[in-house]
Amino acid sequence: MSINKNHIIFSLFVLFLLAGTYAFMQVGHAADPVPQSPRPAASAAIDSSKCIMPTAYMKANHMRVLSAWRNSSVREGNRVHVAPNGSKFDKSLNTCLGCHANNRLFCFNCHMYANVKPKCWNCHLSPMETP
Amino acid sequence: MNEQRRDFIRKSGLGVLAGLGVASGLLPKSSLEKTVLPVWDEKPVAGKIRWGMVVDTRTCQESCQECILKCHHVHNVPDFRSRKDEVKWIWKSPYEKAFPTASQQFLNKETRDRSCLTLCNHCAESPCTKACPTEATFKRWDGIVAMDYHRCIGCRFCMAACPYGSRSFNWQDPRMGIKNPSTDYPTRMQGVVEKCNFCSERLVKGLEPACVESCPNKALTFGDLNDPESEIRKLLENNQTMQRKPELGTLPSVFYII
Repeated sequence: MSINKNHIIFSLFVLFLLAGTYAFMQVGHAADPVPQSPRPAASAAIDSSKCIMPTAYMKANHMRVLSAWRNSSVREGNRVHVAPNGSKFDKSLNTCLGCHANNRLFCFNCHMYANVKPKCWNCHLSPMETP
Repeated sequence: MNEQRRDFIRKSGLGVLAGLGVASGLLPKSSLEKTVLPVWDEKPVAGKIRWGMVVDTRTCQESCQECILKCHHVHNVPDFRSRKDEVKWIWKSPYEKAFPTASQQFLNKETRDRSCLTLCNHCAESPCTKACPTEATFKRWDGIVAMDYHRCIGCRFCMAACPYGSRSFNWQDPRMGIKNPSTDYPTRMQGVVEKCNFCSERLVKGLEPACVESCPNKALTFGDLNDPESEIRKLLENNQTMQRKPELGTLPSVFYII
């Protein structure tokens, strides 16, 4: 069988395909190894040394932040809050109370003045109850 | 345009493409973005893990209450000292109560008198989560049947649906029944249902459940049922085990070695 034009075109085409897809064959090696054992939901260390948002924002929106934290951590297992500056916080009331409980009346003063009655302390231990 | 020239441009274009392909394969760092597996801000993937427990009733001591005391302290479970208001996350049941549908005929005395540690089975096909009208109790990504106490309206449908009696209702304010509260975990309020959470708050920190940790005889083994290499799977492979009421099709994640 003699080598005709079609044979050359076909073999060049295969070579071209191989060359073009070479990078994709390598991707598996370039990626990080996938960890073997599955992790439970990750958590960040409770860091109460700094505020997660500016004071003015928190004054107006702390209830929205807490509600979003509650839903995403309890239901989706997404426990880590990433602040705009990149620092990470555990989505827990204890992250806030670690510092804000220094003033035991921090929550109550304002809620009493504004006559709002949040149900947080029906279950969570308030700064008034903890030693 | 000259036919030859058009041909040349076409071919050299293809050549450049193929060359780029080879170059990016040979120099992966410069051309391909590395896949970074996010460690932190990532939702866990559902179905990867299924937490389970094996209770070895042979080594679980009759008189020992360590796990019950530890669990009920850590989770602020109230004790009202009355059957009517009883709230329990983990408790001991006699053999015929734990396995009422298993054969009871001509059972040897030792097995008949044995008490079995019972807790929420964290069923793969959990009837309680299907009964809950507010999705306050739900199947988590890791197989745990979790309670979102914020959402519970106290209708007790889940208690009716659970075939194992693993759920308790707070008829009174539970804080009245907690003598020595633990500050690490919230309490519940009057009018919500509560149950074992497989210590999900400890699992996040990389700790084993409180009952497993407190057992002096290592009768409890906790682990991932989806991982064939895990200790719990090896136990299941090497021992004859039982589940509670398996005929109901709830696929409990708690297994018993009798």
